[in-house]
Amino acid sequence: MTEFLIANMAPIIFASMVVFLLVGFPVSFALAANGIFFGFVGIELGLLGPQLFQALPDRIFGIMNNDTLLAIPFFTFMGLILERSGMAEDLLDTIGQLFGPLRGGLALAVIFVGALLAATTGVVAASVISMGLISLPIMLRYGYDKKLASGVIAASGTLAQIIPPSLVLIIMADQLGKSVGDMYKGAFLPGMTLTAFYVGYVVLVAIFRPRWAPALPLEARTLRGGKLLLRVLTTLVPPLLLIFLVLGTIFLGIATPTEGGAMGATGALIMALARRRLSWKLLRQAMDTTAKLTTFVVFILVGARVFSLTFYGVDGHKWVEHLLTGLPGGEIGFLIVVNVLVFLLAFFLDFFELSFIVVPLLGPVAQALGIDLIWFGVLLAVNMQTSFMHPPFGFALFYLRSVAPASVKTTDIYWGAIPFVCIQIIMVGILIFFPQLVTFGLDQDEKVDLDSVQIEMPTSDYGAPATPAGFESPKEAAVSPADSEDAASKAVRDAMKQDQAK
Amino acid sequence: MNSLLKLSSLIDGLTERIGKAIIWLVLVVTLIGAGNAVMRYTINYSSNAFLEIQWYLFSAIFLFGAGYTLKRNEHVRIDLIAGRLSRRSQAWIDIFGIIFFLLPMAIAVMYLSWPIFLLALHNNEQSSNAGGLVVWPVRLLVPIGFFLLVIQGFSELIKRIGFLQGKCPDPTAKTHQPTPEEELALAIKAQKGEL
Repeated sequence: MTEFLIANMAPIIFASMVVFLLVGFPVSFALAANGIFFGFVGIELGLLGPQLFQALPDRIFGIMNNDTLLAIPFFTFMGLILERSGMAEDLLDTIGQLFGPLRGGLALAVIFVGALLAATTGVVAASVISMGLISLPIMLRYGYDKKLASGVIAASGTLAQIIPPSLVLIIMADQLGKSVGDMYKGAFLPGMTLTAFYVGYVVLVAIFRPRWAPALPLEARTLRGGKLLLRVLTTLVPPLLLIFLVLGTIFLGIATPTEGGAMGATGALIMALARRRLSWKLLRQAMDTTAKLTTFVVFILVGARVFSLTFYGVDGHKWVEHLLTGLPGGEIGFLIVVNVLVFLLAFFLDFFELSFIVVPLLGPVAQALGIDLIWFGVLLAVNMQTSFMHPPFGFALFYLRSVAPASVKTTDIYWGAIPFVCIQIIMVGILIFFPQLVTFGLDQDEKVDLDSVQIEMPTSDYGAPATPAGFESPKEAAVSPADSEDAASKAVRDAMKQDQAK
Repeated sequence: MNSLLKLSSLIDGLTERIGKAIIWLVLVVTLIGAGNAVMRYTINYSSNAFLEIQWYLFSAIFLFGAGYTLKRNEHVRIDLIAGRLSRRSQAWIDIFGIIFFLLPMAIAVMYLSWPIFLLALHNNEQSSNAGGLVVWPVRLLVPIGFFLLVIQGFSELIKRIGFLQGKCPDPTAKTHQPTPEEELALAIKAQKGEL
């Protein structure tokens, strides 16, 4: 019995983690308890040293002073303030009027605004609710097909997951040991391509099924000519300014993503104040939601770190690696299996759980196979985006249902989402075979080198070459890269380096 | 049981008060972060103290927020199976989870992080960055945060048992406060009504 336990410790821990999680108690505590329980078992069996748990406070400390994770409250806060600032409503109204008289124009307006909101608020629920309340009734009034109308709204809302500054990309970067800036740059082109695919689908529908997406009569416009143009321009200014303030400064290498998030959140506050939408109640609510979201996200990570302490201690990562490197088809085989796995898991797990539990197990394997981790992260992010729209559990569908008029049946929403889920799967396929879509946006050589992970982290993303030396934040200069590294992932990399050397 | 329920509502009150206070740190850390970034570009001034205070505050948010988030029942669960069970079964799951998952884990972290704080205090540990802050206060956040989580765990345990005995209402019943999504929907509807 004991021998069986010792020989199969990693699979046993893994299986019991699945059971612990399925119990339905909060993920973070279940994960941590699993790690601690098997840590004791491992120490009893002599598999692990008795000093195992001494590393635990260090693990937590490593999460606390992680500059990347600090971006989570910033971007969440920014999104929550912005979603209530009235920006989305203005955009939908104006762009809808502009494109409306075109066949399929309203649907195109939804996609366009969806992409703009994705680059600013980054909250799927908020985009879907705004579009569901503002654009959906207009589309229905002028005879749009219900399936098309609801599908395009749900899908455009999920763009927030893949277009920077999305939270998924931040967490993915943290878990894969890459810089957030690079992850953003890598995701930019795929996000745009995906948007283009949505547009392509609507254009095809407008050509071949014109009755599904009729043009609005010109009388539907309340503004015309010069006035409309002026309105369009003035409505576009605030979001474009914010996009520059946040993404522009990050892409140009002037600001770190964390700084970009802080400035974006402050910008959102100023904008909401200027539009007289900021009340004490709204502010408190946004802070409350931000604090709770930050807490539960970071706690999943705390749980995952405690779990990995034990799991890596018994060489669980090697077990996973053996399991996955043995797949037929090498790199492509691995990517296909992983994507199918993540696609299926996304039915049950949300992206926080996937990124903290599944991604750290897959990352080292991908690296061992020589897969660019930015490419890998973006690929998984596009895949996880699907989980927001596949029926019947997709969150975007759920939020759309909650605001859609009763004349739109739930089955309309489900069927409407299917073409977009297919587009999503096609996109994953394209990304697997054309990694250039991701790597094109990265300026430096991204060839994966085991050492580069540690060297890149402090420098690449702060754009050292672009700014005068004096402008550099002092912290980057002072903190050695190893400080920000998670001890275990470092150990894994060291182990792999040794393996490679052999 | 009644005195336990009284204790539970005392703990709940404390947790709520702490929660209501720490949410302001979100605003504070945002303004410090933005201020620091803007100063860095405009007048080329930055200090490690500004950078470090940000992660101190970030740590305070999630460590002190753990009990608050637990009280609001907002730690993420996988309710694939549990979601289909009755309220009573879910209360049993929570009792099991609190006793076997939450309390051992939180007490272990509390126990392990305390000596580290004492050591930091004893050595008057300072940040290794030039112009950085004193480190021991942030080391103290860990045991305090997990202590708050432990007592809130006890309170939740008492409420679950009370619920099963019919002595208190369902602690996880959705409060009548609208979610942020509902608030957003209401705000848009109100705006449309005015137009």
